[in-house]
Amino acid sequence: MTRGAMVNWLVYAALMAGIWLWLAGGMPFKVTGMFLASGLAIGSLYALGGIGMVVLYRASGVLNFSAGAAGAAGAMTAWQLGQWGVWPPLAWAGCIGVALALTLTYGRYLAPLLAWRETVVKAVATLGFALIILGLVSFIWIDDPRSLELPTDQIGIVLFGLRVTATRLLAFAAAIGIVVGIWAFLGRTEIGLQMRAVANARDLSALLGIPIRRVETIAWGISGLLAGFTGLMFANLIRLEPVVITFMVIPSIAAALAGRLNSLALVLVGGLSMGVIESLLTLSPTLKGVRPIAPFVIAALVLLWSQRGTKLTFGGRD
Amino acid sequence: MKLRNGLAGAFALGLGMIAGAAFAAPSCGANTGQAATGAPIIVGGIFSNGAPGDWSSSTDAAAAYFACVNANGGIGGRPIEYHVEDDQWNPEAAAAAAAKLVNDQKAVAMVGNGSFTEMAVNAQTYVDQGIMAMASACAISECFETPNLVSTNQGPLASNLGAAQYAQEELGSKNVACIGLNIPNNGIWSCQAVIDYMTSKGGTGSMAMLNPGAPDVNSALLEAVASGADTILMNLPAGLALAVLKAAQEQDLRDAYTWIAPTPLYDLSVPDAVGEYWHGKIWVNAELAPINQGGPDGQNWLAVLDAFGKADDPRDTFSQAGYLSAQFFVKALLEMDPAGLDDRAAVTAAIKGIKGYTSDLMCGPYYVGDAAFHQPNHAGQMVKVVAGGFEVVRPCYEYDSAYFDRHKEVEKALGLN
Repeated sequence: MTRGAMVNWLVYAALMAGIWLWLAGGMPFKVTGMFLASGLAIGSLYALGGIGMVVLYRASGVLNFSAGAAGAAGAMTAWQLGQWGVWPPLAWAGCIGVALALTLTYGRYLAPLLAWRETVVKAVATLGFALIILGLVSFIWIDDPRSLELPTDQIGIVLFGLRVTATRLLAFAAAIGIVVGIWAFLGRTEIGLQMRAVANARDLSALLGIPIRRVETIAWGISGLLAGFTGLMFANLIRLEPVVITFMVIPSIAAALAGRLNSLALVLVGGLSMGVIESLLTLSPTLKGVRPIAPFVIAALVLLWSQRGTKLTFGGRD
Repeated sequence: MKLRNGLAGAFALGLGMIAGAAFAAPSCGANTGQAATGAPIIVGGIFSNGAPGDWSSSTDAAAAYFACVNANGGIGGRPIEYHVEDDQWNPEAAAAAAAKLVNDQKAVAMVGNGSFTEMAVNAQTYVDQGIMAMASACAISECFETPNLVSTNQGPLASNLGAAQYAQEELGSKNVACIGLNIPNNGIWSCQAVIDYMTSKGGTGSMAMLNPGAPDVNSALLEAVASGADTILMNLPAGLALAVLKAAQEQDLRDAYTWIAPTPLYDLSVPDAVGEYWHGKIWVNAELAPINQGGPDGQNWLAVLDAFGKADDPRDTFSQAGYLSAQFFVKALLEMDPAGLDDRAAVTAAIKGIKGYTSDLMCGPYYVGDAAFHQPNHAGQMVKVVAGGFEVVRPCYEYDSAYFDRHKEVEKALGLN
């Protein structure tokens, strides 16, 4: 670990301890522990969404805002299949399948058309795709109270006084497992190497003979699978409302930014920290009204901290 | 199943119980059986359809009723031309919609409005332009505390009070935690009334506010739990209330608290959506009659929708409210001097003159009057969520909160009590 990295972690630890003392100090841990466990649960969902975004960004240079909408379409499909009496595992597979199909459709047929455009243009195009999916989903399924149950909801353990279901533990474990799995995939496989090469220099990679479309399609496929799984988790753990699931990408972006769109481990730590801080803010009568902006304030502070000492000019970085 | 194209199936259970209504001929306005052919009377309506939800069922029902009236003689032979605008939950669009309907198209009244947005934006416009809005789906304070807005629905404050009163009187509640939206003229306004009510009865109350876009409802639930409450009031749209219930189910909190809610949870989809765990454990205030209650107006509402509405028009509480607003408006027009039908001031005076209109869809009489506030509907019913639907546990009852004292004074002056 470099000296700079060590300073970063020390500052992080000091800040988290300070926030804990400020918001939760003086209250019994029996109460604050429940908010801690609740925050870790929601934070793992932020991290899960952020990890999916960073994986695709690292592999294709596209910041995919449509992951939430694809997940929402998948979750609504799973619910519909459940209503039709389809065997539950098949309905869950349907969720992942729909998200995968939507994401692959975009990645295979639309994303290449924008391959040479600026990163911002590519990101905004995915936002347009998200709104199209959301419009279609809202048209097919009218606004109505719904819920999506999973068998893991019935199993749980008590953590810091809060009962945590196996579904929440699954989301948490998946976030860690995916970080490790993707890290190994990108770092130790040929496809992973090719993905990193394409993300860094698409044109040079093409000259070197890397099958660009194939590599990018695989990246979009991984993103689609993650979007489907995340959509299923959001639908169960947050609520089965397409708009809410679609716009869960917003705090997920904050988690991705905390990892500077690069480090999956930092996305995980950032997402969990955002969830905990947002939850602890409930304990402050003054600040509980600003809870929804907490992830963005944290992301902005992380970016400012990571940019310290860097001067920006019209020509780029000095 | 709740696919748009298969909406009838979605309400199969409820409609199955009320199938008889489909065979009744609708009764509207003058009921002549002759189509109105004269110069149209322009009436406006604004609804919201956008990301948070579709609140068009009240204007849908009003449109169906006006179509029925037009097919039955109209107002002295003149049809009602109902112009409806969507504010898309956008304040700018809401202001533009009102300007278009009120200023440009010269509507003589607004009827059936269903929105979270437009009432806050347009309440002063309605005063300035001397036009009355007979709204139907209101959820914010401006709907009930401004001079030119009156609604057939109760809104969260009255419905909350109805639920809290039942819990205090029948379920032994002494400390109610109200989980509401962190919006001053909605959640805070309506939860504060519950706290005041509980205090007046020797109990206590608190509020746990939830940001509308917040994904995490667990923190609000934990805040409510930490307040020491014995009763939790979910003053939320149905989707968010379901999320709170799911979080509570995770903690197995069902039997540790009494669970109550205002009207948004009175939705035929809710018993299935909450699941068996909650059946028999949630009490909901219904601000209008149960959808399957089957009285003359209850049946006519469905018959009008079947004959003049669209197949996918929702048959819900807001639809009942839209039907009622339209019906009361038409009755007022039929009773006024026909020479004044195009005169907004005369129509406004006729609406303000409404008193003592009754319907089996409402527990009390409907009136408007000339006051700076309006809350004609302050009596309701209490239902319990059971497998497959709802069970009425307390039929029509008046809410006894001090909040309604000034309304009761107006009613006394009008000779209504």
